[in-house]
Amino acid sequence: MNQTATIREKMTAKLERKPHKQNRWKKNFWGYMFLVPAIIIFVLFMWVPIFKGFMYSFYTVDFVKGNTFAGLDNYARALTDPDVLIAVKNTLYYMVLCLVIGFWVPIAFAIAISELRKFGGFVRVAAYLPFVLPAVVLYGLWRWLYDPVGPINALLGTMGADQIAFLTDSRWSMISLVFMETWQQFGSGMLIYLAAVLSIPRDWYEAAEIDGAGVWARIRHITLPSLRNLIVLMLILQIIATSQGYQSQLALLDGGPNNTTLTYALLIVKYAFTRLDYGTATALGMLMFIVLGGLGIVQFKLNKEDN
Amino acid sequence: MKSADRGILSEHDLKKTSNKIVYGIMVFFILVMVFTMLYPILMTMFNGLKSNTEVNSFPPHFFPQEWHFGNLKDALNYIDLLVFLRNTLYIFVGNMVVTLIVLGLASFSISRMNVPFRKVFYFFFLMTLFIPATSYMIPNFVNLKELGLLNQYAAFWLPAGANTFYFLLLKNFFDGIHPEIFEAARIDGASEPRSFFSIAVPLSIPIFATLAIFIFSTAWNDWFWPSLVMHSEDKYTLATAIYKYVIAVKALNTNIKFAILFLVSLPPILVFLLFQKFIMRGVALSAVKG
Repeated sequence: MNQTATIREKMTAKLERKPHKQNRWKKNFWGYMFLVPAIIIFVLFMWVPIFKGFMYSFYTVDFVKGNTFAGLDNYARALTDPDVLIAVKNTLYYMVLCLVIGFWVPIAFAIAISELRKFGGFVRVAAYLPFVLPAVVLYGLWRWLYDPVGPINALLGTMGADQIAFLTDSRWSMISLVFMETWQQFGSGMLIYLAAVLSIPRDWYEAAEIDGAGVWARIRHITLPSLRNLIVLMLILQIIATSQGYQSQLALLDGGPNNTTLTYALLIVKYAFTRLDYGTATALGMLMFIVLGGLGIVQFKLNKEDN
Repeated sequence: MKSADRGILSEHDLKKTSNKIVYGIMVFFILVMVFTMLYPILMTMFNGLKSNTEVNSFPPHFFPQEWHFGNLKDALNYIDLLVFLRNTLYIFVGNMVVTLIVLGLASFSISRMNVPFRKVFYFFFLMTLFIPATSYMIPNFVNLKELGLLNQYAAFWLPAGANTFYFLLLKNFFDGIHPEIFEAARIDGASEPRSFFSIAVPLSIPIFATLAIFIFSTAWNDWFWPSLVMHSEDKYTLATAIYKYVIAVKALNTNIKFAILFLVSLPPILVFLLFQKFIMRGVALSAVKG
């Protein structure tokens, strides 16, 4: 069967390769026409901005007087600005916090929820529900939850603990944001892991149990290894996402208090839209691209292996 | 047969006391999780129905002592939510149409039409995935400005066709349709546009629905980018308007604030509850490919 199929494929491939020139054009006319709109849109709204980003990083961008070439000035400004160092440190801190506080939560809950005999559907819906809340609702809601007289401090009060100024205390501000984001986002990660946990053949556990493997051994030697590729993929996706994070930092604290939530991406935004220095903002973007570009390729390779 | 009913734990495991305790702790943590997920969301709703003094009282109550349904009316009068809703829906519908036509056609061509050099085109689309979006956010904005698209809906509609992720979802879906169907159509004399619109599109309703949900939630969620692109107030999206007039404002009464937040959360929550099976499948799908 297979052989005849490949022979047939080869024959049709041969036939396709040498049709009359006009025929070939006619044959593929619609194929190309279908690609044209997408190519135009991708060029205009992806490749042109990317190329312009490279170009503008060497220019002083001025919408009124026109752009002037500035050489490496933008890069020099970016690299000597003490805020950049603060922003890089804050971004790394934010990324680490997201890993420590947030990364393992969906994995743990996916395994736990897969073991529920009842109400699994309800729990899934409840866990995912925050994810559908619009970001602005999230900000309004958590500003109230974190309020000095909000419910979390009320709970701390009844437990006899001191009150915490979650957002205005510079030791807590970033941690509070990460908790808020974990609350909102873990549900979607959990569903992804849950699908993977449920696709592990049940017989493996049966066989392991017969061989005398305890519950933890089964999790350690069957469940977690089966999730390994997915975990690595999610880790890279999370690193790519958190290294570019700025929205909740901007919305809730505008980088404060004392620049403790000023992330690198937020600094780019501020350079562009507060200082109106688009050239330096693009230069900072280019620097980010150089550092992060490699990660995208790693993610793509892993994704390919997975499929 | 029995092995299908078990998870990591079997019935036998659950008879052991130590496992029972661990299982109990696990259930307890799940309950805590469910509570922490639902409490703030329900609180958003109930706070919107309390009097302002009650919302600000310490410690907070869960249920309102008096129900103030008039807050919802005040919320609708505070800002013109309906105008912002209309703007958001404009963006959603336009983005959807552009995505379906531009990316639908392109992914169909790559997936099912055997054009020469399709690998090259495929790579051309795919390459953009490697470039972190934030790194070209500013040039993207400058580019829109230079194209004269600022403050126009086209600034959302046209770039909607440049989404590599949706392109991949569509292409993977088309890859799963049997090519014989299209070959049969070709033999029967159907033109390529015809076989796209009357065969591929009807078969792709599931993936279009998934995309519709993604595009809806993006249009509903995005507050920062629209606040840059749309600078006249009557063109703000719902999320942008709420950020500017509700979140960033201190003078507004907290109960009215929550009533507004509740009203904007309602549509996505309802969409989710109605299509939950569909959406949760979509999430699992998107992760692997994302």
